[in-house]
Amino acid sequence: MNLKGFLDTALSQALELGMGSADDVVRHVTPEILADHLPRPLWARLLTACLGAPRVDAQLVIETVGIANLCEHVPVAVMWNCLSEIASRSLGREFVPLDVPVSAPSAIVSHVDSSPVVTRSERPAPLSLTPPPEEKPRETPAPKPVALGPSIPTPSTGSADSLADVVAALENDERAAAAMPTRSRTPTSQRFRQTNTNGIGRLAANNTRRPQAAAPATEPVPTVPPSPPGRTPRRGSTEVGSSEYDETEVGKEDWKNTLAVDVEDEQLVEWSAAGEETQSSTDEFGRKR
Amino acid sequence: MVESGLEHQVFAPSDVLAHATPEVLASHLPPDLLGKVLAASLASGSMTPDRVLDTVTPELLAKHLPHDVLWACIAAAAARAGVGAAK
Repeated sequence: MNLKGFLDTALSQALELGMGSADDVVRHVTPEILADHLPRPLWARLLTACLGAPRVDAQLVIETVGIANLCEHVPVAVMWNCLSEIASRSLGREFVPLDVPVSAPSAIVSHVDSSPVVTRSERPAPLSLTPPPEEKPRETPAPKPVALGPSIPTPSTGSADSLADVVAALENDERAAAAMPTRSRTPTSQRFRQTNTNGIGRLAANNTRRPQAAAPATEPVPTVPPSPPGRTPRRGSTEVGSSEYDETEVGKEDWKNTLAVDVEDEQLVEWSAAGEETQSSTDEFGRKR
Repeated sequence: MVESGLEHQVFAPSDVLAHATPEVLASHLPPDLLGKVLAASLASGSMTPDRVLDTVTPELLAKHLPHDVLWACIAAAAARAGVGAAK
């Protein structure tokens, strides 16, 4: 029940329609009542208006404070007496005032800055004077806990969920895992471009590679030239262990006998120092500088 | 001190209310005193600094208002009177 809103609307309409005046309001809303219930910001506004006005009267007080603020802060009984007196006079009846509480808690002391200042635009909607039926406290059901993790069955106290049940559940899980198809590994796509020029600009559309014919698989032919007899073939750096002679076999003394090959004089080449120079000079031309 | 300044016309009630603004009065005066000020103004039809100080005497001002507010009033009056310390 918004009784303050109703009084605000009713009193405002009464003053607007000329049924009552500001004096009717100030007759009940005395300076003492204002001092007890009007918040400090409204008092500052009122003092400022009064000091700047050539005449201080009830109209100035009501216009400065406002009916809405009066209804908000002044006790309801006081405001009802204002309205009741205006209505009784208009109806030609005798005015019977309500008893006003003597000393309500002073709003001016406790509400220095936090008390609301009601403006006309913030007027609450009026409601009827009949008090609403008392509301029974609603029984709000306790909210169910929200499952944040995996669904774990609640532990039961009975003996049925024993160790055998747990083992059976684990076996079922293993069967289900075995029945599930394993995820085949898919070949990953090529992550990098093969060349730097492919796929640039307008050539990107013709980026298909030419089909290549498959080369026949042939047995690799050893291209090592036959070494002349009597000389040990030079091994490559990676041909470790390919030689049948192992020079590191220390302690084997008959290895020199196996290398001893009979060489005739016709097979020997005559060597001279001039030939070596010529050979070395021709070798220089073929050398890349 | 405020009463002496008013008595010797070093400053006027309007000078006092220039520092003891309505906001300061509304913030520091007790409610009954505010009610008396309003009632006196409604009864006389106007609210002037003299009438305010008739209700809120210098003694009450010194009792309820911050002293730096009152001292600012006194210092400003002294500056107007040619006492240079308040500049």
